[in-house]
Amino acid sequence: MSNRHSLRPDYHQLVQSDKVHGSVYYEPAVFEDEMENIFHTGWVYVGHDSEVPEPGCYVSKPFGKQTVILSRSESGAVHVLYDKCPHRGNKILQSEKGTTKSFVCPYHAWGFGLDGSFKAMPDLAGCGPDFDKSDANMSSLERVEVYQGFVFASMSREGISLSEHLGKAKQIIDQLVQMSPTGKIQLSAGWMKQRMYGNWKNILENQVDGYHAPFVHSSLASANRDWAGERDRRDTSPTRTRDLGMGHSDVDYTASYHAKGTTLRWTGNIPESRASSYVAAMNAAYGLEIAKEKLIVGPPHAMIFPNLFIAEMNIMVLQPINADETIHWTTPVILDEGHEINERSIRRCEGALGPAGFLIADDAEISELNQIGIKNRNPEWIMLGRGLHDEEHRADGTIVGGLMDETSQRAFWRHYAKVIVGVNK
Amino acid sequence: MSALTSKIEEKASVPPMDHRSIENFIYREARLQDEHRYDEWEELWADDGVYWVPANDYDIDPQKQISYIYDNRARLASRIRQLKSGRRHAQIPESRMRRVVSNIEYSQVDDLVHVQANFMLCEIRNGRRNFWAGRTAYDIRHVDGEFKLVLKKVMLVDVESPLPNLGFLI
Repeated sequence: MSNRHSLRPDYHQLVQSDKVHGSVYYEPAVFEDEMENIFHTGWVYVGHDSEVPEPGCYVSKPFGKQTVILSRSESGAVHVLYDKCPHRGNKILQSEKGTTKSFVCPYHAWGFGLDGSFKAMPDLAGCGPDFDKSDANMSSLERVEVYQGFVFASMSREGISLSEHLGKAKQIIDQLVQMSPTGKIQLSAGWMKQRMYGNWKNILENQVDGYHAPFVHSSLASANRDWAGERDRRDTSPTRTRDLGMGHSDVDYTASYHAKGTTLRWTGNIPESRASSYVAAMNAAYGLEIAKEKLIVGPPHAMIFPNLFIAEMNIMVLQPINADETIHWTTPVILDEGHEINERSIRRCEGALGPAGFLIADDAEISELNQIGIKNRNPEWIMLGRGLHDEEHRADGTIVGGLMDETSQRAFWRHYAKVIVGVNK
Repeated sequence: MSALTSKIEEKASVPPMDHRSIENFIYREARLQDEHRYDEWEELWADDGVYWVPANDYDIDPQKQISYIYDNRARLASRIRQLKSGRRHAQIPESRMRRVVSNIEYSQVDDLVHVQANFMLCEIRNGRRNFWAGRTAYDIRHVDGEFKLVLKKVMLVDVESPLPNLGFLI
């Protein structure tokens, strides 16, 4: 890249309403700003409380450049702790997940509760008479909040609440969990981790891109006509891309599914007879009318800024490694009282997603080509203006575009431009 | 499940199948994958075959846990059709690769031969070299004078690690 960008990036210049400078995808300085001003400042998705179902359960999670522990203590409360011993700084966990009565640092065996509170050390007297045990606690992330089991944290002591950050995305999460008759989900099926050689923002943009599917995923029609035919992917489709504010966006299939009018298209279009226990449980829980609406519309397809993708019956999480590399975590959503749906969701997750999936392996390839291409000098800018001329601006602030418009990408960049300069601090 | 566990057991109630022939079958299976000879590879499969690459651990319950691949025969056919479409971007161009299969152990239970073998696979694609390794469990059945794959379970050394694209046949 030319020298003029080796100075601090000028984001007001680089990120505009209908175009973004290519360097934003590959400049290491930009990546550092993103870590600092987005991942180490704002609200970031950590994990789901079902990943630590009982007191004593813990799981290691990436958080920006940090490694954190999601745990559940005796009280039943969920915690997000920096994985760092307050003594000499060692990483404490030696396993990705497990169950324990206490965390014990492998270096000098200092012990901590699942809430991070100091419990014991060998030769406590050696610390002297003035030693204050409260100085020997593990550190919690500065703010931790849970919405419908989704655990978010922020490394800033101050700032907007999680509720303000989520905004309309709360309805997205509600829509997902209400696919369960009890309103509860479990992320209990394990994660696929996929190393992608693309920039996290391109991968994110692609997740809510309604334009690419007929081209990147055209081989799906050869592979399986049933899968390929579930959706109307023409430019006349009633499916909408939406800017939900705060960087959140979605591809809203509601109108498309309503036009078809049949339930369970989102399962791969199985008849209700193949999910009769689930349908009965949904009817009992929500009443016939509301249950039918939920069974027609299905789960959301939405990106929650900056790292959580609710991919219908899957959760995908972005872990940026550097400007050129991202690890994409994927797990199927297991519904409480999901009956016939759950094993099907696992099989569909494998079929579509992950490194061997019929869809995402191709998306990963496109992201890699994108990262290579975007580093070429000219043209300098990428275009994000599709549909900008005839978007619908609703009273509640939602901006609505067509399936093949770039409304959802602009939703990301509009918020990115605000927070990347550090105003969120 | 029992058909999928593919344990090495010392029990032979029917005359043993010829080990050299089974070895040849496994080597050919590996070569057909290396050379992207999709139709011939698909021919190796029994109608009830399962092609399985578990994620996170080897002894997971695939009904409750995610796998990287858990193809029944119909999905395996879809996978082959996608590869042959010419539009499977993850394999444009196809991976260039060779694998070595070794440390073969056998047992036979009735008409099913359980085989386990280690593999090492060098894959080059887009200028990047990927090294894949693991142990594969094969269940092989004699059907009308031919060997057929009933199960191929690929237990990656990298089972817990992030994987790059696995767009080829492993």
